[in-house]
Amino acid sequence: MVETIILIPLVAGILAFFLPRTSGRLLLVLTGAVHLVSSVLLWIYRPEALLNDYFAVTPEGLLSLIVISLLFFLIAIYTRSYLEAAEIHAEHVFAGSMLLFLGSMTLVTLSDHIMVMWIAIEATTLASAPLIYTHRSGASIEATWKYVLICSVGIALALLGSVLIALSMDIGNVDAPMSFSSLTQVAGRLDPLWLKTGFIFILVGYGTKMGLAPMHTWLPDAHSEAPSPASALLSGVLLNCAYLGIFKTNKIMHAAGLGDFSGTILMVFGLASIVAAATFILKQTEYKRLLAYSSIENMGIIAFGTGIGGLGAYGAMLCLIHHSLIKSSLFLCSGNILIGYASRAIEGTGQLAKRMPKTFVALFGGFAGISGFPPFGIFFGELFIIIAAFRAGHYGAVSIFILSICVIFAGFIKHIIRISFGPSPSTIRMEEQPTMIWPQYVLLVTSVVLCFWMPDTLYETIRLAVATIGGGI
Amino acid sequence: MMDPVDTLLAMVLLSVLISFGSSRLPALIKVIAFQGVAVSIVPLFMGHEMTWGGIVFTLATLMIRGIGIPVYLSRAIKKVAIHREVEPVVGYHASLLAGLVLIVAAIYVSPKFNLPVGKGYILLLPSAITLIVAGMFLLMARRNAIAMVLGYIMMENGIYLVGTTFSMRAQHIVEFGILLDVLAGVMIMAIILQNIKKTFNDVNTTLLRTLKE
Repeated sequence: MVETIILIPLVAGILAFFLPRTSGRLLLVLTGAVHLVSSVLLWIYRPEALLNDYFAVTPEGLLSLIVISLLFFLIAIYTRSYLEAAEIHAEHVFAGSMLLFLGSMTLVTLSDHIMVMWIAIEATTLASAPLIYTHRSGASIEATWKYVLICSVGIALALLGSVLIALSMDIGNVDAPMSFSSLTQVAGRLDPLWLKTGFIFILVGYGTKMGLAPMHTWLPDAHSEAPSPASALLSGVLLNCAYLGIFKTNKIMHAAGLGDFSGTILMVFGLASIVAAATFILKQTEYKRLLAYSSIENMGIIAFGTGIGGLGAYGAMLCLIHHSLIKSSLFLCSGNILIGYASRAIEGTGQLAKRMPKTFVALFGGFAGISGFPPFGIFFGELFIIIAAFRAGHYGAVSIFILSICVIFAGFIKHIIRISFGPSPSTIRMEEQPTMIWPQYVLLVTSVVLCFWMPDTLYETIRLAVATIGGGI
Repeated sequence: MMDPVDTLLAMVLLSVLISFGSSRLPALIKVIAFQGVAVSIVPLFMGHEMTWGGIVFTLATLMIRGIGIPVYLSRAIKKVAIHREVEPVVGYHASLLAGLVLIVAAIYVSPKFNLPVGKGYILLLPSAITLIVAGMFLLMARRNAIAMVLGYIMMENGIYLVGTTFSMRAQHIVEFGILLDVLAGVMIMAIILQNIKKTFNDVNTTLLRTLKE
């Protein structure tokens, strides 16, 4: 059962390479639907994995999995129409890579073995590389090259970190499986020096993939060059997968009594990312890069919140879920804008409110959500993180945090107003089809609904996920 | 007489120096192939108990790291490289000096880690550190995209050396997964290389400067 949900997209992905070119459109939606149903079943029944040395159904894994499933299904529906409207070479490669990408991300969420986690995260890089190269331009090959090389080298450091954690087991004379769950249980007996060193390497390694500054340089390029549905997946869920690797290692650190050490480092990287995003967001000239920098900001917020622990960790989990929902909807809107105006530059757009009113509503709603306005969940997430930071007495850090968020908001709204109401250069090429609008609405509405009515099972799962690092309200 | 492990590793250290001083890509690939073979067979000489699974895995590693990846890359080079130079950012003499300093530093710091595992093999930890840092050095100090891929493989070889010699606990199936990932990664990098060549008519990474902040 647990393993089948990994296999379904992988098999479908391989199949897509051999089927006729356009059949991938339907296959994406079908696989997305089956995957979503299986994830919901997995959430309800929470079965034991067959290969329980390698795989396990953990609360944090389930949270990520359900988000991935929901997003992929909605993005697949959007992609069907997007592929009809946009011209894409080698469509079967695109569809196949999307499915393999889904399979590798599912593998990340369900893997419990520290090395299997590494294999899965590296596999996500490899499966998503062809997606970024879809447009076959000079800029896209450059983005792909940067993405594959920087992420592979970064993730290689995470492998070194995982090996060092194995070493800390040898030195501490611990004989246990190398799974996150068993390591968390025996954490107290691991050699602290090597565990710390391993954590740093893992944080730098997976942090590269997550987009933490200063290792974020690949992210704006990759997200802006990929076709919008792929950008939505990259930003919405791939970053979460890398975060999962850091989160699970952080749990081991907390269980070993080294939570302060790992927390401080997470906070430093988190703040650095928020500040970097604030610096670069002001002078952006392309709207997809703008969204990419906003992802770096949000990953920074999540790392910062996790570092604080307690209520902050709970807030980070909320931000993680809502960022996925809102950011993927924003990237899908950017796809509509790109098809409509045939320009990536903010200067090339304008009058969106008049020309594409439905896309405008989704874009503006998404913007309000991502900037931390109620009634969207990021508001509560950030609020919890700020309260937790004040309680823990990190006054300096939290002032930088709030200031940077204000700067980012100012930069963001300037660009959004330019896109929505600024002078428009030409007529647009696109009719707003319903299937390219309502996935965005569903994502935003989900975010709003989850704010006011969170099912008990969801609350309980988040609470369980952050229990080890002192989370919960 | 020296232990076979240390003899092999001494040659690995020398090969790092060769790679720093050489301007030609084919020579660099030969170095990578040698290092791939060396790191795959070192565990055989370390007196760990050898199971059938272990031997099969060692052979598979040897095939992929020592033969598969280098052959694949040298084919890719024939397709893409007009200039078979590595186009250094840091000159060869400076690189050689840096390499020497690196090896001396690695040998100097290694005993301070005081690791209980792998004792008796004085060059084990220094070689691993040297390979990892040298790989990063090639990534930063060469402009040629193929040389950067080779740097990545050198770094991977170093990490593999740490993984197999200091800790024998990972199961072979998992190790094999890692190996497949590395292989697939190198293949994808080679495909990207061919496309870079097609688009820019060169594999010099200074041409990749359009996406800059």
